[in-house]
Amino acid sequence: MDTMVNTILEIIAIILLALLIGLFFLGLSRKITARMHWRYGPPITQPVIDIIKYFNQTSTSHGYLFSFGLILSLSGCIVLLLFLPFGHWCPLSSSGGLLVVLYLMLVSPLGLALSGGEAANPNASIGISRKFLLAMGYEIPLLLIVVGVMSYYDTISIVEIVDKQLQTGCSFQHLPLLLSGLAYVLILPAITGMRPFEMIQAPQEIASGPMAEYSGKFLAFTTIQHALNLFIGISLFTNLFLGGASNPGYFFLKTLVVLIVMLIVNAVFPRFRVEQAIRYLWKWSSALALIGLIIVAIT
Amino acid sequence: MDRNKIGKWLKSPGKMAQKYSLHALYFCTGCGIIEIPPTITARWDAERFGVIPVATPRQANLFLITGYVSLKTLKYIIRSYEQMPEPKFTVGFGSCPINGGMYWDSYNTIKHLDKYIPIDGWIAGCMPRPEAVFVAVTHLWTLIDKGKADGYKKYREDYELYRENQESVLGKLEWPPLFSKEKQHEASV
Repeated sequence: MDTMVNTILEIIAIILLALLIGLFFLGLSRKITARMHWRYGPPITQPVIDIIKYFNQTSTSHGYLFSFGLILSLSGCIVLLLFLPFGHWCPLSSSGGLLVVLYLMLVSPLGLALSGGEAANPNASIGISRKFLLAMGYEIPLLLIVVGVMSYYDTISIVEIVDKQLQTGCSFQHLPLLLSGLAYVLILPAITGMRPFEMIQAPQEIASGPMAEYSGKFLAFTTIQHALNLFIGISLFTNLFLGGASNPGYFFLKTLVVLIVMLIVNAVFPRFRVEQAIRYLWKWSSALALIGLIIVAIT
Repeated sequence: MDRNKIGKWLKSPGKMAQKYSLHALYFCTGCGIIEIPPTITARWDAERFGVIPVATPRQANLFLITGYVSLKTLKYIIRSYEQMPEPKFTVGFGSCPINGGMYWDSYNTIKHLDKYIPIDGWIAGCMPRPEAVFVAVTHLWTLIDKGKADGYKKYREDYELYRENQESVLGKLEWPPLFSKEKQHEASV
């Protein structure tokens, strides 16, 4: 009974904290990008202000699937959060591991695609097709990386992977996973939808893609989904390669460092075209991940 | 954030959020649009006031009409305006939308934009400098504070009048009326 209450409290805490951290990351990314462009930039609370505004606007729905897809996408993100260890909190650690995470990572783009497709806007269709092409691009290296990590630590549970890394600390014992880690760094912007893989939204060419027909509260939910997605991508990387953390505060600091490194790339680089992105993902990151997998298999 | 704004935020968060998060839709008619890139990029940086450009009318709540309005563009201005979610604010940029400007005797531009859609504020000048956009934004803030930026309510109440004006220059419009009579009645009650 006591563990049950603890689990429920952990679930609520993780969802709320992830939402807060995701929104903070969005605000921070706008601020840091602005400072790198030699601008002053918006206040760090700007995404929260935007979301309050969205909820106070009228909104246009384009059918049942339009609302349902968004709910599916948001709930996919929230469920995924519970499988990733947040410090030492991981409420659903006993019910699956990396394999479940791999499946659940596709739910949220799928929901957004259902919802955006219902709006029947040609820009949204282009955005969705780009989103799936990009997902196809990064799923192959991601699978290779995850297989490498799983076979190196001999487990499919993320909690055990984090534990093993925490026990040994920073040592040369993890060196065979270096190439897999590098490959993950290369696909991390694609997972979180940051530049140079920003062609899903691309406001300048396809009018913000799948989001073209969202208004009011729908836009608020997509912003929340984006914030959660950003946190999930970074937190998976932190857990697999940076050793997670023994408590949530330390974990937050680690994710913050990863985010700032990503933002430096984000502020400087232009966008790939779709076929360039696919070529890059399948050539460089897949090659690195494959070599990493071979090294893991040999050692 | 200013400490004296906290009371206002607690009192009416919706209104304050609308003030500080103006997502602008720039309608690129004529020469006025050339002043917008310096406004939103590193030189003047409109983002520090929460003003950012968005790509579609569905996400916008500030409509900037920059430059002269020909009959062909008027049709799309009206359609974009009707797609924006309420509350929405409109600002005419430059002297051309105010009274025709240098195109006052042209055969295919309109003279007074506020006959066709409600306008909450004007930026006079030919061309107005980017600073004028920020002056307009701060004026719009005071108008929103006092509840006077209510063009979208006027559009709802006087929709038949606006529609009549629109049809007098554009001929028969191919889309159905945005507000039916019952809805107008609800708005006035």
